[in-house]
Amino acid sequence: MGRYVARRLLLTIPVLFGASFLIFAMVYALPGDPIRALGGDRPLAPAVVAQLKEQYNLNDPLGVQYLKYLGNLAQGDFGTDFRGRPVLETISQRLPITIKLTVVAIAIEAVIGIIAGVLAGIRRNSFFDNVVLVSTTLVVSIPILVLAFVAQFVFGLKLGLFPISGAQEGWYSFILPGLVLASGSLAYVARLTRTSVAENMRADYVRTARAKGLPNRTVVVRHTLRNSLIPVITFVGADIGTLLGGAIVTESVFNLPGIGRAIFDAVRAQEGAVVVGIVTLMVFFFIFFNLVVDVLYAVLDPRIRYE
Amino acid sequence: MNLSKRRGALVAASITAAMVLSACGGSDDNGGEGGGGSTGGTFSMYIDEPENPLVPGNTTESEGSQVVKSLWTGLIQYGPEGEVEYTGVAESIESEDNVTWTVTLNDGWTFHDGTPVTAQSFVDAWNYTAYSPNAQGASYFFSNIEGYEDLQAPTDEEGNVTGEPAATEMSGLEVVDDTTFTVTLTGPFAQFPVTVGYNAFFPLPESFFEDPQAAGTNPIGNGPFKADSEYVPGTGITLSKYEDYAGENEAQADGVDYKVFTDLNTAYTEVQAGNLDITRDVPPDAITTAADEFGDRFLESPSSQFTYVGFPTYDPRYQDKRVRQALSLAIDREAITDAIFNGTRAPADAAIAPVVDGYREGACEYCEVDVERANQLLDEAGFDRSQPIDLWFNSGAGHDAWMEAIGNQLRENLDLEYQLRGDLDFSQYLPLGDEKGYTGPFRLAWAMDYPSPQNYLEPLYSTAALPPAGSNSSFYSNPEFDELVAQGNQASSNEEAIEFYQQAEDVLLEDMPIIPMFFGLEQAVHSENVDGVFVDVFGQVDTSKVTVNN
Amino acid sequence: MSDPKLTTLGHDETGAGTVTPPAEESADVAGTQNSLWSDAWRQLRRNVLFWIGATLGLLFVLIALFPKVFARGADPRDCSLSLSGQAPSAEHWFGFDQQGCDYMANVAFGARNSLIIGLLAVAVILVLGVLVGALSGFFGGLVDSLLSRVADIFYALPLILGALVVLRSGFLGRGVVAVAIALAAFGWMTAMRLVRSQVIAVKSSDYVAAARAMGASNSRILVRHILPNAVAPVLVYATITVGVLIAAEATLTFLGVGLQRPAISWGLQIDAGQRLLRTAPHLVLFPSLILTMTVMAFVMMGDALRDALDPRQRS
Repeated sequence: MGRYVARRLLLTIPVLFGASFLIFAMVYALPGDPIRALGGDRPLAPAVVAQLKEQYNLNDPLGVQYLKYLGNLAQGDFGTDFRGRPVLETISQRLPITIKLTVVAIAIEAVIGIIAGVLAGIRRNSFFDNVVLVSTTLVVSIPILVLAFVAQFVFGLKLGLFPISGAQEGWYSFILPGLVLASGSLAYVARLTRTSVAENMRADYVRTARAKGLPNRTVVVRHTLRNSLIPVITFVGADIGTLLGGAIVTESVFNLPGIGRAIFDAVRAQEGAVVVGIVTLMVFFFIFFNLVVDVLYAVLDPRIRYE
Repeated sequence: MNLSKRRGALVAASITAAMVLSACGGSDDNGGEGGGGSTGGTFSMYIDEPENPLVPGNTTESEGSQVVKSLWTGLIQYGPEGEVEYTGVAESIESEDNVTWTVTLNDGWTFHDGTPVTAQSFVDAWNYTAYSPNAQGASYFFSNIEGYEDLQAPTDEEGNVTGEPAATEMSGLEVVDDTTFTVTLTGPFAQFPVTVGYNAFFPLPESFFEDPQAAGTNPIGNGPFKADSEYVPGTGITLSKYEDYAGENEAQADGVDYKVFTDLNTAYTEVQAGNLDITRDVPPDAITTAADEFGDRFLESPSSQFTYVGFPTYDPRYQDKRVRQALSLAIDREAITDAIFNGTRAPADAAIAPVVDGYREGACEYCEVDVERANQLLDEAGFDRSQPIDLWFNSGAGHDAWMEAIGNQLRENLDLEYQLRGDLDFSQYLPLGDEKGYTGPFRLAWAMDYPSPQNYLEPLYSTAALPPAGSNSSFYSNPEFDELVAQGNQASSNEEAIEFYQQAEDVLLEDMPIIPMFFGLEQAVHSENVDGVFVDVFGQVDTSKVTVNN
Repeated sequence: MSDPKLTTLGHDETGAGTVTPPAEESADVAGTQNSLWSDAWRQLRRNVLFWIGATLGLLFVLIALFPKVFARGADPRDCSLSLSGQAPSAEHWFGFDQQGCDYMANVAFGARNSLIIGLLAVAVILVLGVLVGALSGFFGGLVDSLLSRVADIFYALPLILGALVVLRSGFLGRGVVAVAIALAAFGWMTAMRLVRSQVIAVKSSDYVAAARAMGASNSRILVRHILPNAVAPVLVYATITVGVLIAAEATLTFLGVGLQRPAISWGLQIDAGQRLLRTAPHLVLFPSLILTMTVMAFVMMGDALRDALDPRQRS
C-alpha cells in the first residue's frame, strides 16, 4: 500500500505539467482581446494597450508564453493578474475560506445524505422514502441562487440565527452557506446510499446475520452500511474537488471571497496566470482526494488490495 | 469614466453616476451644528470589487473611484448639481486664451504621510499617468496636453512596443513655484477647469513613486479620509478621518469601512438587517418595495449613465438615416423601463444627459414612439423587411432582457424579425466593434467623466474618436458636427459653449447614428445609523458629508 | 508503473461480502434472457411507482412533441410588455414572464430543448463514463493510471473555461446538440469514477473468479458478469443528473455560449426567473416544479427498472 501511494504521488508531477500546459493552451485559445475589455466603453490609449500586452507576454506564441511562465515559476514567481496582484497572494488569501466552506458542506451532505439514504433504503417505498425522494429532487431543481436567497432571508434576516453573509472567525458563519452548497449534492448521496443499502439488505450475509438474531441496528450499521459506502465515498470524494473549485454562486451570494469566484473572474478576464495557477492547484487536489478514495476502497472492502 | 464592469447576471447591472435632485436624506440634519463639527462614529458602505489597485490614474470605474474619492481631493470639487466648486487644492485655474492655463494652489494641504501637496505633486502625478510604460488606464485624459505624444512608446503595426517613449515629462506642464504650475493644451478648450476634478488629475505624494505597487494597496492621498489598513481584495478597506485635512469639506464621521460584496442582493439584505449602512445600488426587483420599506432612507436621483444602441453606419443596410430614425421611432422606451427595469432607468429623450447643463427635455425628435411614421420612413428608405435584424450586445451582463424587448417591439411595430447576437464577452464584443464587425444595432453605454455636455458628444461621435483610439463605434463622421463641437470647445463662456454643443446635438439627433435608449437613475438605501447620505453626479456618495447617529 | 492491482481472496474471511451475486448469474441459471425480461415486465407491471414515473415521463415526452396542445392556445412569442410579470390567473395559469409572454406556453415549448439537452447529455455521460470507468477499473495498472489522471484533469478544469473553449471554437455549432455535448464533455468524470469503483469491487467477487477459472475471456467477463452488477450506482447518478444538466444549461447561456433567447428552454427560464424573485416568484417556481417532476419521473422509472431486473427481489 505504501509503495502504491508513493507511485501515485510521483505520477502527480508529469500530470501537473501536462495539465498546466493544457489549461494554458485553453486560455490562449479563448477568442477575444482581454486588454481591450479592460478599457471598457472607452478604449485605453494605444501605447498603454501595447505596454500591457508586452507586460503579460500576450503577443508571444503559445509555446513561448508557456515557457516564460514556467521560467518564472522556477523562480517561485506565479505571475500576477492584470491588476498586478500576485497570483500566489490571491490563492493563499482565498483558499482557506474555500476549504472551510467545502469542509462544512461535505460534512452536511455526508451526514444528512447518508442518514436519509439508510433510513429510506431499509424501509423502501415507505412514506419516509418518498419524502426523501421528493425533497431531495426538489432541492436539485431549484436554483442555488434562490435557495441561498431564501436561506439568508429566513435564517439570517428574519430569525437572526446565522450571519447573512461574510466570512467570520471560526466556523459558525459557514454553516448557512455550507447547507446551501450541500443541498445540490444531497440528492445524490441520499439516493446512492439508499440504492446500495437496499441492494445489500437483500444480500445473503445480511439474511444470515438476521437469522443469527442480531438486532436490526447492528445488521444495518455493521454489515449493510459498510458495504454500501463505496459508491457514496466515490461520489463524495469527487464532490470535494468540485466544491473546492466551483462554488461560484454560493461564494458570491454569501460574500465569501473564495477560489470559485476568483477563477470565474479570471477565466472571464482571460488572466492566464491566475487560471493556470488555481486550476493546477485543483488538479493536485483531485489527484490527492481520488487517491484517498482509492485507499478507502481497500479499507471498506478488505478483498480489494493494491500492491 | 468607463462602464467597464465585470458584473454579470449574478449581480444586477451596475450604475455609475447620479445627481441629487430631491431626496437628500437628512442633509439638513447637521445644519445646526455649524461647519466643522465632527459627529464621530464610523459607518460601513458597499462597494463591488474595484478593478485596479487604488491608484487614481489607474481607476476608471465606479467602485475604485468611490474609494479613491474618499482618499483624495483634487484641484476642484463638484457641487451637488455638478457645478465646479473651488473647495479643493486649487485656489484658481485661469487662462486668457483657453490654451495655456495657470493653476494656483492653496497653502496648507498635506498628504496623509505629512508631506506637503505642491505643484510638483500634480505635475509628477500627471506625467506618471500619461507615461505609457506605466500602463495607467486613465492615460488618455492627458492627450490634449502638449507633449503627451512624447510619453507614448512607439509601436509597430501589430501593436508591439518597439522602444521607449521620447520623454518622461509632458512639455505642456511647467512648475512655476511650489503653489503654481501651468498647463499648455494642444488646442483651445474652455472646459478644462471642469475636467480636473476627475480622479485621473489627483496629486500623488513622493512616496508613491518609490513603490507604486505598494502604494496601490496602501494608498496615501490628501483627502478627508486616510487608509487605516491595506486594501484586501474581496474584503475591502477601512478608512479613518484625516485630522489635518486642509479643505472645507472635512469628514463628519470618524471612519468609513468599505466592504466588498460580489452580489448586490446580499449587500441589500445586509442593509435591511442593519449590518451595513449604505449601498449605492438597489436590486431591480427590490425597487418597488424599497421605497415603502426604507421611507426617506431610500434615495433616488438621475445618473449620468447613458445607454444607447449604436448603428453600424458602415453597413449599407443602415446607411440611410431614415432607417435609423424609423427604428428609433418604433421603440417604446417607457414600456421597457417600466417592465424590464422596474423604473430604475428613465427613457432617454436627448443625447446629452439631464445631469449636465445643456440638457434639453425632448431634444430627440425620434425618441418618441410613433409607429405610423416609423413604417412610413422605412418604406421611403426602401428597407428590406424580409431580412431579420441582428441585435448585438455583450454576454453575461444582463442586457438580454431589454434587447429582446426591443426585438419584440420591432417585430410588433415594424413587422421585422430579429436575431439576438449576445454571445460575445466584452473582450470579443468591443474589438469586433472596433473592426466594424457589427451587423446590426449594438448596445453600448457611457457615463460621464466630468460634468460637461462636451463629454457626451466629442468622445462618442466625433471623427477624432473613431476606433481604435476612441469610442465612436458607429463610425459616424460629420464635419458639421465636428465643427460645432470644436466651436463649443473654444467658446469664451459656458453659455456660449452650451449653445454650440446643443447645435451639435441637434445635428446628431437628426442623423441618428445611435438610438438614445435610457438615462440611468441611481437608487440608494441607508440604515438608520447614518444621515447626510447624498449620491453625487458621478453616482458616488460623498463620504465626507455622512454623519453617524449615536 | 502499475497502479491498483487487485488480488482476489478466495474466501471472504471477514464474513462481510461486498456486492452480492448478480442478476446475470440467476438469469443464466434460469435459462434464456427472454424469461428475465418477461419476468421483469411482470414485476414492473405491479409496481405503482413505475406507473407514476412512466405516466409523468410520457406526459413530458408528449409536451415536448406537441407543445402547442399544452400551451392552451397561447403563442409563446406573442408578448406584450404591458403584461410583464403578471401573476397566474384563471385565464393564464402560469402568469406572464418579464417580456409579457404567456408563461405556460413558454414552459410547454421549453420542454423539447430541455429534454433533448438533458437526455442527450446524460446518454453521452453514460457511454463515456461506463466505457472509461469499466476499462479503468477492470484492467487497472497503466490503463487505470492514464484514464484516471485524464479524469482528474477534466475534473479540475472549470466548466466555464471548457465550455467557453469548446463552444466558442464553434465546431459543434451553437445549438441544442452542442450544448449537450459540452455539458457532457465536462461532466462524465463522476460517472466514470462510480463505474470504476464498482468494477473494482465486483471483480474481486467469487463469481468473477469462477468465470475466470472456467476460462471466460476478459471481454466476456467484463460485459456479461461485471458490468451488469456495476451499473446500479451510475444509473442512480444518471437519473438525477438529467435534471441537473437541464438546469446547468442556463449557466452556459449566462456565459454567452449556450442557447439564447428567443430560443426557449427551462434553463433559460429558471435563470431569468431567479433574478426577479422578489417581484415575480412564479417565474422561477413553475419551471423548477416541472423540472422536479421530470427528475422524479426518471428516478422512479430507474428505481423500478432496477428492482425488476434484480432476481433477488422476486425470491
